[in-house]
Amino acid sequence: MKVILEVKTRKKPNLPIEAESIVPKNFLDHDADLKVWKGNKKLSLDEVFTKRVEGTTSYADKVEVVIRGDSSRIKRVGEYMAAGKITIENDIGMHCGNFMSGGEIVIKGNAGSWLGREMQGGRILCEGDAGDFCGAGYRGEKKGMVGGMIHVMGDVGDFTAETLAGGTIIVEGNAGDLSGVDMRGGTLVIMGDSSRVCGNMKKGEAYVHGMVREMIPTFRNEGNVEVDKTVYTKFTGDIANRGKGTLYVKHFEYMR
Amino acid sequence: MSKLLIKNACVIDPINGIDREIMDLCVSDGKIVESVTNPDEVIDAAGRLTLPGGVDSHTHICGTKVNFGRYMSPEDMRAGRTARRSHMHATSGYCVPTTYGNSYRYAKLGYTTLLEGAMAPLEARHTHEEFNYTPLQDTMANTLFDGNWAVMEAVREKDYKRIAAIIAWTLTAVKGFAVKLTNPGGTEAWGFGEDVTCIFDQVPHWEITPAEIITSMIKANEMLNLPHSVHLHCNSLGTPGNYQCTLDTYNLIPDLNDKRQSLYSTHVQFHSYGGSSWSDFCSKAEDITKSLNSKPQIVFDIGQVMFGKTMTMTADGPMEFNLYRLHHNKWSNHDVELETSSGIIPVFYRRQSLVNSIMWSIGLELALLTDDPWRCCIATDNPNGAPFVKYPEIYGLLMSKRYRDNEFETIHPKTGSRVVLPALDREIDWYELAVMTRAAQARALGLVEHGKGHLGIGADADIAIFPLLPDTIDPGVDYEAIISGFSGTNYTIKGGKVVCKDGECTVDTAKSTIWSKANVPEEYNMTHDERFRKLFDQYYTVRMSNYPVQDEYVPSGYCIESEADL
Repeated sequence: MKVILEVKTRKKPNLPIEAESIVPKNFLDHDADLKVWKGNKKLSLDEVFTKRVEGTTSYADKVEVVIRGDSSRIKRVGEYMAAGKITIENDIGMHCGNFMSGGEIVIKGNAGSWLGREMQGGRILCEGDAGDFCGAGYRGEKKGMVGGMIHVMGDVGDFTAETLAGGTIIVEGNAGDLSGVDMRGGTLVIMGDSSRVCGNMKKGEAYVHGMVREMIPTFRNEGNVEVDKTVYTKFTGDIANRGKGTLYVKHFEYMR
Repeated sequence: MSKLLIKNACVIDPINGIDREIMDLCVSDGKIVESVTNPDEVIDAAGRLTLPGGVDSHTHICGTKVNFGRYMSPEDMRAGRTARRSHMHATSGYCVPTTYGNSYRYAKLGYTTLLEGAMAPLEARHTHEEFNYTPLQDTMANTLFDGNWAVMEAVREKDYKRIAAIIAWTLTAVKGFAVKLTNPGGTEAWGFGEDVTCIFDQVPHWEITPAEIITSMIKANEMLNLPHSVHLHCNSLGTPGNYQCTLDTYNLIPDLNDKRQSLYSTHVQFHSYGGSSWSDFCSKAEDITKSLNSKPQIVFDIGQVMFGKTMTMTADGPMEFNLYRLHHNKWSNHDVELETSSGIIPVFYRRQSLVNSIMWSIGLELALLTDDPWRCCIATDNPNGAPFVKYPEIYGLLMSKRYRDNEFETIHPKTGSRVVLPALDREIDWYELAVMTRAAQARALGLVEHGKGHLGIGADADIAIFPLLPDTIDPGVDYEAIISGFSGTNYTIKGGKVVCKDGECTVDTAKSTIWSKANVPEEYNMTHDERFRKLFDQYYTVRMSNYPVQDEYVPSGYCIESEADL
């Protein structure tokens, strides 16, 4: 079953819409009156989207939701999603895939901040860039993403994989400042450059294939190692946090 | 002013010796009166349990430390959110809720008087500002003197009258209620990265011992005839084997007051640990209660721990730093100039943890082994042991052996060999519960003559009506009815106004801030003391003239004056 949601032209397209009801399983019931929030106003899904349904199914994992139009201010799409697929043809707003535990989200454009925050399982593919706090835990939370996979083909913002506790995050472009801060598990792979990587790291693995600027000085340099035919400098730490994490870095420079 | 008649109330009022009598209560001008004619409102209690408003004699609800707990835990602010409705503001937070959250939830449990456990005098303004936004309870603040330089100098000189004069000046200046000592000497040592282990250690750089601070402060406090005694958080909190230190402290306490205790020992659960390390950690509640039972000059609260998430916050900076090294979680420590320190870390008490299971047992043992309920207050040192919303569960545990046994099955299996709890058959009855949750507190705080904790003629009309019919419930069996009944009042009445009805708060404000003022002879007025003034000029970041809290910070103040014998 395919559900096509096209964002209607809005008078004030900058006003965010909170649409945590856009989860594949919610579309199994054709007559369900789903709600979204604009500020403190509760709106019907139909007031923001034109909905078209093709086919029918009674299983959430057979549902594909397609979001078209200007969805760059639509937030919390796919929150608590457990099965099915969401395809977003343009940009998507913040908190896409919060707490998701299964299924797949494909974003053809860019994603806002908090992509896949505290995610538990499933897969997110973002073909453009992602904002800050990708796969992180929300403010004050001790654990960020605990399982699943986030793959960003563009760049990501700051604090990527903050408090990452499990699962994998792959960034093909560059990552901003403080990637992998407070990591306590899982794997972070950055193909491009980043800075001040993995401060306060407790456990887990991080790879940076580009340049790490302002390398944190409280990591122990364990010398060169070869992983998958690439020679990295291996670090363990963060010693300042009694950490036992591993950080593989292609190039690095300390703060001058 | 409004008149209120409560009919057919099943009243327990221990201070007036009333135990489950069906009677009518008349209220006029916010006070209990003999009779009313043409009442504006009549409430038919229909035989439901009616108690004086609850008094929490040790809780942390307002002030810089509590607020820092809020900053530190945005994840806690996402728990326990409620939306704005009619008279109620939006609230958030579970362990450290917003001030309105605290106030509404306490009102729902029937509490009308709250004592903030620790206020650093320098930061009193913040506490008073938050008090003003805690609208449904009378509030007051214990004022910290544990590392006060002026006091410690006077202790070294053994000049008790000078100590009394400093206490009187400071309490008046910061509109505090009573003297609080938190790890006396230790918090000052913390300023130099050190601590004291027990009462006979020297305080670094001061040549005095915590024992001298405690005894001198008790003497000075009694000279001032303040409503409350010294309120003590003993040294060496939370370390295995600290019960010996607690017993040594109790042995020092003189009996100086015939109206009330001479020492209020707070959160004793945290001070009743045996063993030499966490591996042979055990309960010493029997030794502690044996000592307490023989010393009528001491009143205490249990400081019960309940399982779940909470935030520990205390003025005991060195102890919190040790906790940080244990848990390695987020943490804050703070040194308050010439006065005290503080620290905050979040904790999670787990049933699977042997240490936490023993702590849970100790609090209950303390309550059950104490002969005189008038000297044992129920409190969790909110939020250190547990958020106060857990109080109904504690009532259930104390009133029902069966509930205790059921819970005991779910905790760490080795707990049984380290505690005596399973052997205790005592079940607290309704009357004792009323004592331990309001009457004992009101008496210990010296507030009975100011109309708190009882329902006699002339008392403040602070009343809680619970959806419980005491004569139809056997608390030992039907503990779930106890828990749900005490979780929300039908009516909480504060100063004659219904402030909370079936969980919905119905007024914007009904409160005052109670503070103490001891009148001292002119030669003991510290305002004119050059040496005292010099401390401010040399070391404080504020001048003495800017230090006192202005009256506008306490718009609804209730001052308890006393005449000092100096």
